[in-house]
Amino acid sequence: MANTELKSDNLFEMMKIHLATDAGKELTKKIGLVYQINIAPKKIGFDEVSYVVDLKKGEVTKGKYEGGKPDAIFTFKDDDFIKVATGKMHPQIAFMRGAMKIKGSLSAAQKFTPDIFPKPAKL
Amino acid sequence: MSMRELVTGGAACAVSGSSSSSSNPLGALANALIGSSSKTQERLKEIPNAAAATSHTQFYDDPVAALPGSELDHPFLQSNAQGSDFIRGFRTAHDNGLADAWDEIQRQPHLDRVYNAAPAPPIQPTLDGPPQRVLSSFLHSFVDSSRSGIPLHPTPLPLLGLSQGDKQCIRDRSSIMARHFFADKSEEFINSQVNALLSSLEIDSDSHAKGPMPGRFRELEDYWNESQGILKPGAHAADGWVTEFSQHRAQHGDPDAWAHSFEQQHGAGGWASEFEQEQAQLTLVDQMRGGNIVNLAAIEQTRMLAHTLSQNDDPKFQNSKFLQFVSKMSRGELIIDDNQVKPASGSWATEYQQQFNGGASWADEFVHDEVSHGPAQWVNEFATEREQEPVDDQWVNEFSKLHVDDWAEEFGRQVGEGALGDSSSDNWATAYDEFLNEQVASKERSDASTGVYVFSDMNPYVGHPNPLKEGQELFRKGLLSEAVLALEAEVMKNPENAEGWRLLGITHAENDDDQQAIAAMMRAQEADPTNLEVLLALGVSHTNELEQAAALKYLYGWLRHHPKYGTLALPELVDSLYYADVARLFNEAAQMSPEDADVHVVLGVLYNLSREYDKAIASFKTALKLQPNDYSLWNKLGATQANSVQSADAILAYQQQALDLKPNYVRAWANMGISYANQGMYEDSIRYYVRALAMNPKADNAWQYLRISLSCASRNDMLEACDSRNLELLQKEFPL
Repeated sequence: MANTELKSDNLFEMMKIHLATDAGKELTKKIGLVYQINIAPKKIGFDEVSYVVDLKKGEVTKGKYEGGKPDAIFTFKDDDFIKVATGKMHPQIAFMRGAMKIKGSLSAAQKFTPDIFPKPAKL
Repeated sequence: MSMRELVTGGAACAVSGSSSSSSNPLGALANALIGSSSKTQERLKEIPNAAAATSHTQFYDDPVAALPGSELDHPFLQSNAQGSDFIRGFRTAHDNGLADAWDEIQRQPHLDRVYNAAPAPPIQPTLDGPPQRVLSSFLHSFVDSSRSGIPLHPTPLPLLGLSQGDKQCIRDRSSIMARHFFADKSEEFINSQVNALLSSLEIDSDSHAKGPMPGRFRELEDYWNESQGILKPGAHAADGWVTEFSQHRAQHGDPDAWAHSFEQQHGAGGWASEFEQEQAQLTLVDQMRGGNIVNLAAIEQTRMLAHTLSQNDDPKFQNSKFLQFVSKMSRGELIIDDNQVKPASGSWATEYQQQFNGGASWADEFVHDEVSHGPAQWVNEFATEREQEPVDDQWVNEFSKLHVDDWAEEFGRQVGEGALGDSSSDNWATAYDEFLNEQVASKERSDASTGVYVFSDMNPYVGHPNPLKEGQELFRKGLLSEAVLALEAEVMKNPENAEGWRLLGITHAENDDDQQAIAAMMRAQEADPTNLEVLLALGVSHTNELEQAAALKYLYGWLRHHPKYGTLALPELVDSLYYADVARLFNEAAQMSPEDADVHVVLGVLYNLSREYDKAIASFKTALKLQPNDYSLWNKLGATQANSVQSADAILAYQQQALDLKPNYVRAWANMGISYANQGMYEDSIRYYVRALAMNPKADNAWQYLRISLSCASRNDMLEACDSRNLELLQKEFPL
């Protein structure tokens, strides 16, 4: 469905491939946590789509985490997530502004930095 | 001799005198390099004190204005309404003397020979005459050296009297241009070229290097102090508490002595503010308990505190409890729910943030808060408790024995460590700094993100007789940042010029600025809604910004307006575009004419949208077979490979192809950085980002990526240089 496509979908798809590479495996070794990320197209709390970025197993799956509790759950608007993942917005600032909601362990949340996401190269 | 004529623009220019020399590319280049100096002078004139000095310059410069090739002075001559009458008079008088002036120029070669006893190389600049002339011919020799690849040697020049602003301008623009000129040369060569230029002009090449941004830190400190200052009014509330408390004591027949002695010992205000900070902590705690029972929780917490205070006479034990609490929070061990609780650092940040956003209102709120359910509640609670179980003097005694000083110190230490220690004040300063930058940027960029084009200020090409031609020429030479300026001048002059907007958009895209590229392309599309190149470019830019719906719209528009494939398009599709339909149509088009590279390009972009990278790569490869010299195609292929996370070698081979065809293709440099970073080779990625940024310091994306790579490569020592955009330092540190 072209019109409900989120920008973040692209990034998570890239993340999927990325985690299979050496750099991605390095990441799972370094972080070893499970994050669930909820993306709202326009407004937080509405029509949220969930992704699980499992940096223990090195997987990205769509849908809520099934297997207990993720180490941290983040909620973003689509645009804000892209901004954080591409380094346009500092996670701390996103948090201060309320652009990023966090649930769960704070020490786990602090490891959530823009460098875990691959950057899209431009055509 | 021919060089001189190029510079001066020849006799034709001399006669007209007032029109800047469009036929004179070198003059225009020099204009570009130092053009803004006249604007600086304009600004100077606005300052009353500078009037005397500038009127002097004018006298000095005016003969130059009448000379050929001296287009530099025109903006400022025209702009100065005050002196223009006089100048006109002077000019008409001088027109008669034009012949004299011309003769003088003709004579100059002889002077040259006199001055330069040594055999002069063919491009030896004129080193005498009025400052503007010397400067312009010297800059020409700089530009010229780039063509022949001859190293430029530092040359002693007469005093030019350049202002600080002129120097800054020349330094910035010459180093950017040099990167474009010598994109295929080594970094050392570029640096030596620029340094030769700058040292000849007596411009300190390092004066740009900003220190460790003391300004920002000072600002930060000010804000902090201010926030502390605003806390003070709150102290009254607590003062009130002390009074109230002592009244209670009085009612119960207890002497006021305790309150007095306490005040004497610790000072009411001091304790009050300690108490208040404590309250802030407790407020956080009660938020954790759930927002609805704020008051209850506050009472609960204060009771607990009071209880602890009264129960334990061992201050160390107290400290340890408190310590545990605070350190638990700062270690992030407390599970937080729905943003309600932050560790000490977070709370500081939030307070600070609110402070920054709406200083007074926050303070009011805070005071209000404190008054409404802070101390007052505590006092009430305390009072009821008091009433319930009659006072025992012991409590008072114990309380006063508690070494409140220690406690206060401990608390201060905790705040110092807990709040700031965890994420070190440096981090906060950086975050804050970034936040400020972001605010400034968002102000500037708010237009860009909504698709409104943002023009550069101080554009030396404004008033150029044919900026489009100039822009095309600069674009062809690969001087992208300069081409942007020239093309901006064009579209300011002719806002309906689709070609001007289109080329401007392409230039921005190659310069790795998609926001501006989209904005420019939208204007091009407004002017010419069916231009295929524009539609394709918009499709690509939106794909880069991950905006699938918009990208589909434009790519479909490309098909619809194509003279050959237009018949394939189904009109009913326009309102509800689905990826599958569009892809199917393009596949049909590709079958119709497999020799049309454009169709394969669009297909490649479409497959990028759907993340079918293998198909995208195949499409771009087909297109490349048809158009092997299209550098943007090589980049598209390389970028697709990077996004599909192929091996580094494959990506780099394609990007290198693009760079061989177009050495100053900023986007390709940035993409090389991205592919290295995605493979975890951060040190390498940094070099490529820095290279891209040296050619276009306005490429915001690259700055952000550079920052990430720096911290991943554990080069936090260079973060500051990145934040202050100190390219000189970064280039020195990370040569390519």
